[in-house]
This record gives sequence, C-alpha cells and structure tokens, in this order.
Amino acid sequence: MMKQYVLKRFFLLLPTFLGITGLTFFMLQLAPGDPAALKAQSFTELLADPQQTEAVVTETQKLYGLEKPLSLQYLLWLKRIVLFDFGESYRDHRPVMAKIAEALPITLLLNALTLLVIFVIAFPLGAYNALKPNSFHDRVSALFLFLLYSLPSFWFALLLIVLFAGGDYLNLFPLIGIFSDGAERLPWYGRIGNLLWHLILPVIVLSVANIAFLSRFVRASLVEVMKKEYIRTAYAKGLSPFQVMVKHAFKNALLPLVTLFGSLLPALLSGSVIVEQIFSIPGMGRLSFESVLARDYPVIMGITVMTATLMLISYFVTDIVYGFLDPRLRLHERRGL
Amino acid sequence: MKMRSHFKTFRCCGSCHLRRSTSPLARGAPGIQRRRHPDYVDFKMTSKIFFTLLFLLLTSCTYRLERDARELVMHLAAEPATLNLLTYSDHYGAQVLGNIYERLIDVDAKTLTFTPKLATHWEISADGKTITFFLRENIRWHDGFPFTADDVIFTFERILDPAVDAPRLRQQYLDVEKLEKINDYTIQFHYKRPYFGAFFTAGALPVLPKHVFKAGENFNAHEIGRSPIGTGPYRFVSWEKGRSLRLVRHEEYWDHKPQIKGIVFNIIPNGTVAFQFLKKGGLDLFELSPMQWEKQSSSHSFQERFRKYHYFPPNFSFIAWNMRRPLFADKRVRQAMTMLLDRSSIIEKQLGGLGKIVTGSAYPLSKDYDTSIEPLPYNPERAIALLREAGFDDHDGDGLLDREGVVFEFTYLYPNNSNFGKKIGLLLQRQLQNVGIRMHLEQLEWATLLSRMQKRDFDALSLSWIPPLQADPFQLWHSSQADRGSNISGFRHAEVDRLLEEGRTLFDEDERAKRYQKVHRLLYEEQPVLFLFQMPTLAAVSKRFENVQAYPLGLKPREWTIESTAMLKAW
Repeated sequence: MMKQYVLKRFFLLLPTFLGITGLTFFMLQLAPGDPAALKAQSFTELLADPQQTEAVVTETQKLYGLEKPLSLQYLLWLKRIVLFDFGESYRDHRPVMAKIAEALPITLLLNALTLLVIFVIAFPLGAYNALKPNSFHDRVSALFLFLLYSLPSFWFALLLIVLFAGGDYLNLFPLIGIFSDGAERLPWYGRIGNLLWHLILPVIVLSVANIAFLSRFVRASLVEVMKKEYIRTAYAKGLSPFQVMVKHAFKNALLPLVTLFGSLLPALLSGSVIVEQIFSIPGMGRLSFESVLARDYPVIMGITVMTATLMLISYFVTDIVYGFLDPRLRLHERRGL
Repeated sequence: MKMRSHFKTFRCCGSCHLRRSTSPLARGAPGIQRRRHPDYVDFKMTSKIFFTLLFLLLTSCTYRLERDARELVMHLAAEPATLNLLTYSDHYGAQVLGNIYERLIDVDAKTLTFTPKLATHWEISADGKTITFFLRENIRWHDGFPFTADDVIFTFERILDPAVDAPRLRQQYLDVEKLEKINDYTIQFHYKRPYFGAFFTAGALPVLPKHVFKAGENFNAHEIGRSPIGTGPYRFVSWEKGRSLRLVRHEEYWDHKPQIKGIVFNIIPNGTVAFQFLKKGGLDLFELSPMQWEKQSSSHSFQERFRKYHYFPPNFSFIAWNMRRPLFADKRVRQAMTMLLDRSSIIEKQLGGLGKIVTGSAYPLSKDYDTSIEPLPYNPERAIALLREAGFDDHDGDGLLDREGVVFEFTYLYPNNSNFGKKIGLLLQRQLQNVGIRMHLEQLEWATLLSRMQKRDFDALSLSWIPPLQADPFQLWHSSQADRGSNISGFRHAEVDRLLEEGRTLFDEDERAKRYQKVHRLLYEEQPVLFLFQMPTLAAVSKRFENVQAYPLGLKPREWTIESTAMLKAW
C-alpha cells in the first residue's frame, strides 16, 4: 500500500517539473526586453546606418540561439538539461553551473545559520508562551513579535547598519561581504571569527521575521494540543509542565510543522535578494536578481531547475514522512480516500 | 527522562532554580550528592560563556585586518559581468579596465585634446579616409611580451568576428573598410567614407595581447575575461566574486608611474550602505548623491577626513516627446511643456543648487554648444496661450484640456532606478494638473524601458544621455535615425538633416561648430525633447591624498600623492 502511495507521488513529479520549467521559460521570453539588444545598446557615435546596426543585433541573437522558434528553443533546452548541460551565461560566457556553484555555498551558510538561530529562539519562546496562554507575558510578547514580524527587512537592515556598522554611531560590525578584504592571510580561527563577525547583522535581519512567525506558530499549535485529554492525564500522573510539554505535547504539536519543513529546503537555497543586496553578499538572491535584470536566460533557467528540483524532492519527502508520522493518513490511503 | 520524586511539583522548572539555592542540595550540604534535574539548564553558565565569547569576538584582534594606506579603495555599484575588453558591456567593467589597458590615443583631462598613448603620432590623409598610427616601441604587456601592430590587428579582427559577443563595439567599426599592417609598428585604417569622428573611434580601438590566445579557442569564455593582461599602469591581481577586485601598480610601466601602489574596487550595490562604508573608513573615493553632498556630508568628522569635489562631465537629462503622437506633433505644445516646468526652482529646491540648465545636446564646454541661446522661461500664462493656439482648451468644462473631443492625457515613463526621473515626473505632473492636463507616471525596469523605446511605444520618456567627448549629433537628430536609431522623439527637419550631413564630413573643428550651433538653435526652437540639466559628478576623496584636481572629465588618481602611510583598519 505504502509502495503504491510512494510511486504515485513520485510519478507526479515529472509533469510538475515540466510545468514549472516550461512556464518559467515562456514567461521569461515573453517578458519585454531582449538580451541581444541590451548588450548592443550603444550610446556612442555611429556612422553606420540603423540597418547595419540591426544586423549586428541579429548576429548576437544567433550567437545566443534566440533566433529559433520558442517551442523549439524549449525542447533544445530540455534536451541539454537531460544531459546536465546548463549552457553558459550571456553576460560573461561562463558555465551556468560554475556561477551557481560560487553563489550557493554562501547562501547555504547564511541560511543554515539563520535557521539555527530561528529554531533555537523560536521553539523555546513559543513553548514558553504556550504554557500560560493569554497571560500578561504572552500578550506582551505577542505584541512585540508582531512588531518584529511587520518590520520591512529593507528598513530594518539599513537601521542596523546605520546604528551598529556605520561611521556615525556605533562602529562595531563590518557591513559588506562575508570576509574582510585579505582575510586569507588570517589563521583559520581568525577566518572563522572574521566570517561570524560579518554574518551577525545579516543573520539578525534574516531571522527576525521568521522567529516571530515560527514562535507564534509553535505557540498556537501547542496551545491546541495542551487542551487535549491526554495532556490532562499526563498532568495527573504528576509530570511537570516542562515534561508534559516535551514528552507529550510537542510530538503532536509538531505534526503541522512537518509541512513547514517541506518548504524549508528550497528556502535554504533561494537566498534573499534584499539582504544580499544590502549587505553586498554574492549569494543566490543576488545572482538571480542580476540575471533577471540582464535577461540572462540560461542562468535564470539553471536556478529555476535547481530550485524546482529541490522543492519537488522536499515536498515528496515531506509527503512520505507525513505518511510515516501520522498513521491516520496511511489509513485514508488504504480506504482509497 | 526519568521522573524524580523531589521535583514532584507543577511549577518546577519556572522556579526550581530559585528554590534550589535555598535547599540543602544547593548549599551543598555534607553527605548529600548534588543531583541535577535532567531538564535543568544552567542559564547563568551559558550566558556567561556566551558573553565571554561575544566580548572576545568584539575585542580580540585575531579576526581583524589592516589595510595599506598606499592603496586606493574605490566603490563599484555592481559587479562587472566580465573583464574581457571586447565583450564587457557595463560601466563598471570600464572603470576597472581603464587602469589596466591603454588605447592608441588618450584625451588630456585639462585641455580636452588628443594626446599620444600607445601611438606616438598619427597622420590623416587629405581625403580623411586613411588614418595612420605609428606605435610606440619597447612597450611590454604585463606578462613581458612585447606590444606590436599584430596585437592591434588581432583585436580588430576579433571585434568584427560575429562569434565574438561584442555587438556594441562592432557597430562602431562597421565603416572601416580594412585595417592594414604596414610594419610591426605602423598600422593604417581605411574608412569607407570620410568622417570627422573616425579618428576618435580609430584611436579608441581597444587592444588585447594576441599571444595569450590560441587558435580555435572560444573567445567569449577566454580566461582573459577573468584575469586581464594589459599595458597600463596597473596590473590585475585578483577578483573575489561579488566582493572586490584588486589591482597593483605595474613596476615596469613604460610611462610615468603613479604613486598609488594599488587600487581596490569594493562591490557594494546599495548606495546608502556604500556611503556608510565610506564614513566608517572603508572607502577612499566615492561618488556622492546630491542628497549626500548637500545634507549628509557636512558634519565635522566628515569634513575632517574627506574633501569634496565636483565636476561637469558630458551628460544631460531630458524628457523625450513622441512626436509621432498627435498630442506632441505640434511644436507649440512642446514649447508650452517646457514653459510649464520651473527648471530654476527645481535646481534650487530639489537638486541643492547643483546642475545647470541646458538648451541642447552638445557638451557645454565644446565649440558646438551655442552659449547665446537663452533657455525658455518658466511662464504658465504663455504656455496656456500656446496650448490654446494649438487648439487645446477646456471645451466641455470638465476641467481638462481637450481638442476635437480628445482629452490631453498622456503617460510619462521613467527608469525604476532613477530618483531624478521620478522627482521631475511628480513636479511636472503637478504643474500640468494646474492647467488641466492629465499626466500618468509609469516606472519601468531598464530592459523593459529599452524595448518600449525601441518600439517607439511611449508618449513621454525621461532619460539621461552621456555623449562621448567628440559628439556627433547625427544619430540623435537626423531623420534617418527616427525609425530605428537613437532619434527616439521622431524628429524630422530638412534643414537640420542637411546641416548634420554636412557636419559629418568636415574635418575643420570651427567649420563644423558653425553647422552644429545652427542645429542647436533649430533644435531649441523645435523642442523635440524637453532639455533639462547637466548634472555634476560629486565626489568625496580621503584627505590622505594630496594633489587632487577636479577636471571636467573627472578625477585622475594617477596624479595623486599620498600624505600618510600609516596602516588603516580594514573592514
């Protein structure tokens, strides 16, 4: 039974993948703007007449392979993807994969640290608030968290920079990149220190809104579970609230969180455009943003494929894990529901 | 987790910490082994460790670096896509490559005349179609190979090669019939037609080292795009993707060696952040925005560390009217538009007194610019009268101007990164509203704006133009450029056409200037675009550097001397 369920989910992946990449491909090409014209735009003096200039643009389109009909372009692209050939960027003619391989580790590191911070703060906070729902403490922290949640990250990042990293007030943190210039001269522990020093502000900006969101989520989920009868039974056994929470409440309260984990992996890799732009971090967010502006189709498609694949895999895994964790789901499957 | 009897209370963990300190357990009563609650976390200890670590992190020097004061740290607002001299297409690439590569001729910053560089001298034939350059001998590339005519020929061939991704450059050399090698140190350009701009274009030909390329290699993906090799005063050292680029002085440089030992470009996309980085001592040279120039750089601590400079390089901003649309086909309407926008007060109130009103497309410091032309005044009454003459009036009494049942209504496009375009748009919108014209604002991302511009699908468009030093107004205003070229307004004027055609073939500067001044006057009468301002470039330079001069074309760090060489904090 389980096997059928897994297989069914698995075979749904392929059409979804084609759908995502196909849509992205056609939307990209149909959006106004042409990479060849962008590159050829010239504000210098020309003796040549416009016809000749246009011939140059056409040559460049051919160089990029843009002269063929769209559907054919998509099929050719698919064929290359199957062979793991993602092509080369229009901007600098480097392999797309090399560009992604440069940006990915940076985003990965930044987001992994952020996630860590989010979980370490949000879970205890949510649980603590769930202990006494609607108490004064719960209300104050709710207010505070909503405040944090609604801070525009752009504004918050600039505020942090001006206060803690600018030349005017406190000048404690660096504000660009993830290493100081010349950090390769430092010993390994110095390099780690230098890296962490650079990541403090970006991680704060990235985690603030999510801490607010996740801790409220955990709290809501826990409060729901804490009303259940088996919790009362646990208390009756003489367990402390802490033990009740950890041993009995959490397990059930975390079930809805599994869905949340499904979107975690893609989020880990996609990067934040705003934070990466502000802190000059050359990660995935900035790469996608710049590629879109330059209409660098191969790079955008490469990123799409990667994100789509990871998203599909993580949803697939989530579905299956869900099935394992919650026997009720499997039962439904068996009944054909 | 095991249950423990002495913690059998509901409120254990919230307060057990407190309780423990009064219990015999915590006091460490003799004979009783101290036992920990399994859920007990020693917060005091954790926070102690945390704060110690934080303290260490903030105070220790193991992660901090110093930087060499003999280096100049500059700012790039975006990463160059590539450092390939032929295929790069952004302003950022140009900023870096200008220090590494040299061209045949150079422009003197002070006198704005052409000076020898890789070429020692040149000859232009009587018919103007042949230009001969005599190259300097004994120049070596950064890797030690000698520079010869073969390098020039090779580069030129690459530019014309359709497989090379250099459409921008190729367009400029379409009129060269052939480039001939006379001997190892002499080359000759043959042009199809005589053209006064040919010398400048030919002399500006980029030159790559032929010896690093192998036959049959993919030029676009070549290593030279990531580690360029030139003949200039600075040598490429490293490129940390997305972070910085580093150049170092070439000690065997053939010409006068600069005093600055190296140049570092920091890539910082956000302007506010870059300004903060300047203030905390991370940058030595920075282009200020008008706001930063006026309001944010007058503090004592800023003045103490930086000097401010401004200069007026060739540039002008304008609003192009689409003359193909019936609304803007009448020159009286276009004149009225200009008179409805109070340009002097914009300069004063919005641009902090910076900027000059321009009346034409030529560089105001050049001979082609007629300084006697008075800008149209701000005069709403006269504008309304002109609009009436053109047939626009509020015929149906709805408060909006109309003509033959068509309401005066149009859309103004501006690039989404242009604060200036937005500001001007909002002001114009308010002014037009007062006289009963409805203007909509629409901001577009650059690629989209460009494609709308090329399709001529717009009513009004806000843009800035950065012409080269020796500008040819032909492509901006000749009617042949109206459908596909840079004449985006669709301006067609027989007299202007004739003058422009004549001007191109004249090699005498003064003769040419006569024609171009006439064009200037006709243009201002016709107002195909609303000429706005020439804006200065504003710069802050660290006081560590001396002998800093602001020339019309910019600053020249190559002349600077260094005041202090003490090591600086690196961020």
